[in-house]
Amino acid sequence: MKTKKIGIIVLGLILPAAILLLWYYSTNFTSTPESILPRISTVGRKFREMIQTGQLQEDLGISLGRVLKGFVLAALFGILVGSIVGMSETAKRICLPTITAIRQIPIIAWVPLIILWCGIGEASKVVIIVMAAFFPIMVNTMSGMIETPKGYVEVAKLYKLSRLKTFTKVYLPHALPNILVGLKLGLGVSWMAVVAAELIASLSGIGYRMSNARSLMQSDTVIVCMLVIGVVGIIMDKLISIVFSLLTPWQKSNNK
Amino acid sequence: MSNNEIVKVKHLNKEYVADGKPFLVLKDIDLTINEGEFVTIVGHSGCGKSTLLKIICGLVDYSDGTVERNGEKVKGPSPNCGMVFQDHRLLPWLKIKDNVGFGIKDLPKDQRDKLVREHLELVELKGFENSYPSQLSGGMSQRAAIARGLASDPKILLLDEPFGALDALTRIQMQREILRIQKEKGTTMIMVTHDIDEAIFLGERIIVMSARPGEIKDIITTDKFSRRNRGSADFAAYKRKIYNFFFEDSAELLEEAEFVI
Repeated sequence: MKTKKIGIIVLGLILPAAILLLWYYSTNFTSTPESILPRISTVGRKFREMIQTGQLQEDLGISLGRVLKGFVLAALFGILVGSIVGMSETAKRICLPTITAIRQIPIIAWVPLIILWCGIGEASKVVIIVMAAFFPIMVNTMSGMIETPKGYVEVAKLYKLSRLKTFTKVYLPHALPNILVGLKLGLGVSWMAVVAAELIASLSGIGYRMSNARSLMQSDTVIVCMLVIGVVGIIMDKLISIVFSLLTPWQKSNNK
Repeated sequence: MSNNEIVKVKHLNKEYVADGKPFLVLKDIDLTINEGEFVTIVGHSGCGKSTLLKIICGLVDYSDGTVERNGEKVKGPSPNCGMVFQDHRLLPWLKIKDNVGFGIKDLPKDQRDKLVREHLELVELKGFENSYPSQLSGGMSQRAAIARGLASDPKILLLDEPFGALDALTRIQMQREILRIQKEKGTTMIMVTHDIDEAIFLGERIIVMSARPGEIKDIITTDKFSRRNRGSADFAAYKRKIYNFFFEDSAELLEEAEFVI
């Protein structure tokens, strides 16, 4: 059991190790300039420096705050709308065509309008994240609701459960695994959206730091920011998984 | 209406629309079931027997004819009438105790817990209160489903091929269990099955249905002692009679079947 667990971790580390090796090789044994791809040691030094000055924590804190605000709002709206559209055939017919059409527009294309409407302050960043994360959450919630087996709904009908009770006892628990998938996708998109928003119009946050460093040709700062975003992303993803495995204990017993 | 007529179906017709064309699922069903009776309905799959059960419990509506429970026209589901499905339909996210208590409403928690406990004992699932359905075997799940069906204390329990998905040995065991449970609770039970042996073993009356459209061909009243004895001559005679409805020309099939028993 324990060796199996270690094996799984080792398998997950193969690709990062290969990337590091390739990185090490190309910076030390080829003539790649430092400004294009800095050495690992340079990036490490920059990382320490950014931590020591407190700049990294500050940037990360600002971006993380935006992501959380936007993501929580998107999760609330997404689950709410997804549930309504998934449970009611009429609501689905009214909303789905429009939602599907809007979904096709890339989030970057919304940025100019959102900046016009909400300015370049905090609000516009949060709105961009909400818009980006809403769709994956909503669509996955909806399909989880729609896929609820008719047999279970019939049981609720047999015992004359109210619509609200039918939702909380039948539809919602059935859709939880799908909602989890939606939230994970939504979270990933939130990070993309916040960086995109900060790259375009911002004076703070980790996306701004990247864009600023890029114009100063500081590729080491860019890479530090990228790595931090990746690591924070994977931590948040794992956190969601943990919360959900606590919320869906019946699935755990399935795997045993 | 005499007092002990608990279900009364008169001139019931039911049509479904498939591919734009209506077709008759149930044709002129006349059926009266008495309180405390165990009635089995046997027929081919697709003969509308499940639809008949769903109409009786109010899950499916009907337009033509009358269906009464306790002397009142059926307008929808009622706590008076429980149902057990072939695919147990326990909710995977609820513990067994919550599944069994699913239909109990408007009761304080302690009374509800007591009812759940009693019914888990009745179906011999004590100790599995906190398990999830995925941890139970097929037979145990079906027991839990029966407990759920009975926990809301219905007068009538409808069983839609409840043992159809179980292996032969578990099925026979469950047949004996359901008889014991019916004796203890006195619930009127109507069970749909496609297993002729099961229909005879359990049914005080056996309703034989034909398919397309679903019609009642015959109602056979069985004798208590002969139906409980699978080897008896009467049991074979009931069996022959039912076989003849479904396979009118193939009497030799039955000869073989008798040796198998």
